[in-house]
Amino acid sequence: MNSDSVISKSIFTRGSILEDREKKFGWFLILPSLIIIVSLVLYPIVYNIFLSFFEVKVTGNNEFTGIQNHLNIITDPAFWQSVTTSIVYVLFTTLGTTLVGLCVALLMNRKFPLRGLVRSLILLPYVAPVIAVVYSWQFIFDPVNGIFMHIAYDKLHLFTERINLIRSPDTSIYVAILFGIWKNFPFSYLMILAGLQAIDTGLYEAAEIDGCKGWQKFRYITFPEIYFLLGSIILLRAIWNFNKFEEVFLLTQNVKVLPIYTYLKAFTGIMDIGHGAAIAMIQFILLIGFILIYVKRVLKW
Amino acid sequence: MKKSIVLLLLSIFLLSFSSYIFAGGQEETASSEPVELEFWTRQTQSDRMTTIQMLIDTYTAMNPDISIKLVPVDENDMALNMRAASAAGTLPSIIEIDAEIAVALGSEGILDTDASSALLDRVGKDKFFDGALRLFEAKDKGTYYGVPYHGMIQGIWYRADWFKEAGLEPPTTWDAVAKAAEYFYNPEKNIYGILLGTMETESYDEQCFTPIAMSNNAGLFDKDGKLIFNSPEMKEAVEFYARLAKTTPPGPQTWRARDYYLQGRMAMFFYSTYIMDDLAVFEVAMGSLTSDNFEGLKGAEFDPDLVKNTKTATILTNKKDAGFGAVVSMAIPKLNNPDVTEAALDFLNYLYSPNAYITYLHMAVGGMMPVFEGVANTERFLNDPKGVYSKYGAEKIIEITEGLNKIESFGIVEGNRIEAASTIYSKKIIPQMIYKITQEGMDVDKAMAWAEAEMKKLIN
Amino acid sequence: MVTSTNLLKKSIFALSIFIVVLFAIFPFIQMLSTSLKYQWDWGNPSLIPSKLNIDAYKELLNIGQAEKEVPQSVLNLLEENTELSKKQKKEILDKYKSTGDVFPFFKFFFNSLILAFSSAFISVLIAIFGAYSFSRVRYKGRGIIQRSVLLVYMFGPILLLIPLYILSAKFGLISTSVGAFITLMTIYMVLTLPVSLYMLGNYFRTIPYSIEESALIEGCSRFGVIWRIVIPLSISIIVTVFIYAFMIAWNEYLFASVFLKSFAELNTLPLGLRQLFVSKNAIWDRIMAASMLSAIPVIVLFMLIQKQLTGGMTAGGVKE
Repeated sequence: MNSDSVISKSIFTRGSILEDREKKFGWFLILPSLIIIVSLVLYPIVYNIFLSFFEVKVTGNNEFTGIQNHLNIITDPAFWQSVTTSIVYVLFTTLGTTLVGLCVALLMNRKFPLRGLVRSLILLPYVAPVIAVVYSWQFIFDPVNGIFMHIAYDKLHLFTERINLIRSPDTSIYVAILFGIWKNFPFSYLMILAGLQAIDTGLYEAAEIDGCKGWQKFRYITFPEIYFLLGSIILLRAIWNFNKFEEVFLLTQNVKVLPIYTYLKAFTGIMDIGHGAAIAMIQFILLIGFILIYVKRVLKW
Repeated sequence: MKKSIVLLLLSIFLLSFSSYIFAGGQEETASSEPVELEFWTRQTQSDRMTTIQMLIDTYTAMNPDISIKLVPVDENDMALNMRAASAAGTLPSIIEIDAEIAVALGSEGILDTDASSALLDRVGKDKFFDGALRLFEAKDKGTYYGVPYHGMIQGIWYRADWFKEAGLEPPTTWDAVAKAAEYFYNPEKNIYGILLGTMETESYDEQCFTPIAMSNNAGLFDKDGKLIFNSPEMKEAVEFYARLAKTTPPGPQTWRARDYYLQGRMAMFFYSTYIMDDLAVFEVAMGSLTSDNFEGLKGAEFDPDLVKNTKTATILTNKKDAGFGAVVSMAIPKLNNPDVTEAALDFLNYLYSPNAYITYLHMAVGGMMPVFEGVANTERFLNDPKGVYSKYGAEKIIEITEGLNKIESFGIVEGNRIEAASTIYSKKIIPQMIYKITQEGMDVDKAMAWAEAEMKKLIN
Repeated sequence: MVTSTNLLKKSIFALSIFIVVLFAIFPFIQMLSTSLKYQWDWGNPSLIPSKLNIDAYKELLNIGQAEKEVPQSVLNLLEENTELSKKQKKEILDKYKSTGDVFPFFKFFFNSLILAFSSAFISVLIAIFGAYSFSRVRYKGRGIIQRSVLLVYMFGPILLLIPLYILSAKFGLISTSVGAFITLMTIYMVLTLPVSLYMLGNYFRTIPYSIEESALIEGCSRFGVIWRIVIPLSISIIVTVFIYAFMIAWNEYLFASVFLKSFAELNTLPLGLRQLFVSKNAIWDRIMAASMLSAIPVIVLFMLIQKQLTGGMTAGGVKE
């Protein structure tokens, strides 16, 4: 990347006219994205921040309450519980998805019979609608009829009694994490595979001449080449999973990650938009904090 | 090759997209009528919507100056959608909602109580079951947030043959229920006692809990609206519920677990009259098995006599008798447009006319019972499309409908409307408490203290 | 000796592939199995139905269904109405008979497809230009925009719901079906745009500049460079981003349930499936069959694109 920018400097900074044209061209290309994002994302966010200082009424006569909403949220133990749940969920799903994605990408980077078919099959979890697969998962883990308990309890005696893994407060998070990994590993795999295939094969040939074996090749060539790719995949996955609502909510409502806490607080029964907006703000600040640290430490921007 | 596929995809997409816009444009020009109503129904299933649409078509054919748009809204999304519509100024003209949502929305001032009174006058207020009407009464006596349209009764449905074989009493008293639940509970054989709601986010929990609390004289408020949740009677009810919940299938459960009953793995379950329809579907499904088919199925578990052996107990007794049910109303939001409100009233009046009414109720056999006298005993009503009512017999059906007159609710104490009870209901405080006790193993006193604190937060 | 370790390696490799595939498709096998079982057979843990039941599929696809029976109450209602003409009554009855499938699968599918395809297509298109601007064109303010775009993305989408609804209602966009559809499409596009920009920008930076430079020297315009060089070289990542954007729209439930509520004819597959699930007597075989039907077309679609994906990589000359 550094060498690129040197070249681009050499070509594009030759005169102020060129530079000016370049600037216009750049803005012209980015403008559609900017307009859409500012009007449809930034505006709602600002509006939300505004609302978080009010007690929002259905009839529209909102009452200014200052930071009362925010205080209510940060003093609610359930909020901090859901922060913890969120951290556990995000940590394990992100790592799991990336690790499984990496292993599968390494496997699939080889040629073998039926590779086309296998490739299509392992994309299935990602491309099937969430709402279509959750019912199947619920059925698998059903305590009375499900095949999982049948094998684990009736056949293998791994449990002392039938357990409702997918719904019980102690265990549902594991199923949600497993589901998150299952659902999203194909995406990481695709991204990593694209990265793997972009690695110059000459590097491997040179390494083989130097006597490098499988693991060493991975350690010294593959891994450094895809380090930044992995870094951004993890970052994206972490952001996604932090804000993930549908996957968790439709599978099991007992894993109270932050978006579900928000939903239950703000949208069930009588709606409480003011509190919802306040949670969103706090959640936003937490996430930004994490990302700043991550970007500095891992991606070294 | 690659380009041609991209081009092909692109042209398919453009073609279908333009056909969309075209079709949409046509539709708009067709619907420029003087008065346009929007009717939000809870009936989201397409077969039910077809029936309602048929009623609308009939009405608009007679009244060409009114057009009605039918919009299905899932009952769980109703509050969310009403909030969004209220903020955006796009409130519907008619909504079909249950009592708790009606009171919650009504107490926030977005329902038109004058319109409800006008509708009651047209239909005839005396006709309605007092018990059903009372559920919608506003804080100002004699005004209503909505007008009852149909209802269902909940009870304990049980395996009469199992009970008989074990020599147990029908589950109508606390003792009988607890004894039977514990007798049949046998997790090693994958057989369970009774289904109670234990999920945190489901109002089903509260529907199961209400008759238990009521039958022990335990309420949330006294008649002056003072919170009396933390009473010895309530504690007994909660403890009894927790005891029964031990015999429920593992983990948090909700009404969906009725499947276990249909499979012969549960002795009792709390359920509404909706199950009559489910049982009918089940029977039809089994009807597809001819005797030839049985031979290959020796190991399969199923009971051809299940429907026959299912009985129901609609009243639960401990210190007094209590029943539970839910009534759904038609309500009119405040619109500030007299023309629309008048048209809405006229259309609703049509929906209450006998033929339209029975057509509507027959959409969900068992799930929709009449809320006034003089319907349940008519031959027309008993002749439902699935032949369910005739199977149960007119007397049983009338008995069930009359239960709608005896519905109890935490929100009405000695005739006084306590609006805070609806807030507590819609925030699902009781389901959360039940969940904490039965699933997280929290101590009853602690959980009740938690619930009381949450309720106090909501009241002030 | 060599061959035996080779064989061992090969079988370990084959076994790992098998495990990965089984992990990926087991829930689909369960789905298929349950969709083919009778109600009394659900308690049977075996994946093979005791007796095959294809009624659910027949019902959902409306195959071989007897003509809809009209309930007596409907007939009474129409017969005893004195205000309507015979013709009007017949029209109403015919309309009644011809609608009301349990699950109008093709309609839902078509709606979902158009929605997902168009939002993903536009999102990727806009993002290609934006990302090129980020990664190749130098101007003041680039860095700030680049970072703030991703920052904006961190706000949970669930909280955008109410403001966006109010906004679109103010502009009268949700009072017509076309308006609501386009609004929803735009929202999906917005939800995916930041990530599309980010992923494409990252990839564009890895393309050696020399290729572009030589094209410029040969007299290619800047747009020409994007169209002829950048896009073909990054086709694999573009397809990946497209899949990502497509899946967001394909899966989305919450926004769709609010924005398309008034337009039943525009309902998407997730809405349809949810409706089927919450209906009181929806039975598992029906739900699973509907899930299966929703999954199959996308699977076929992606099998086709999958070929493009690998083809694009070699054709793009990344590995020369």
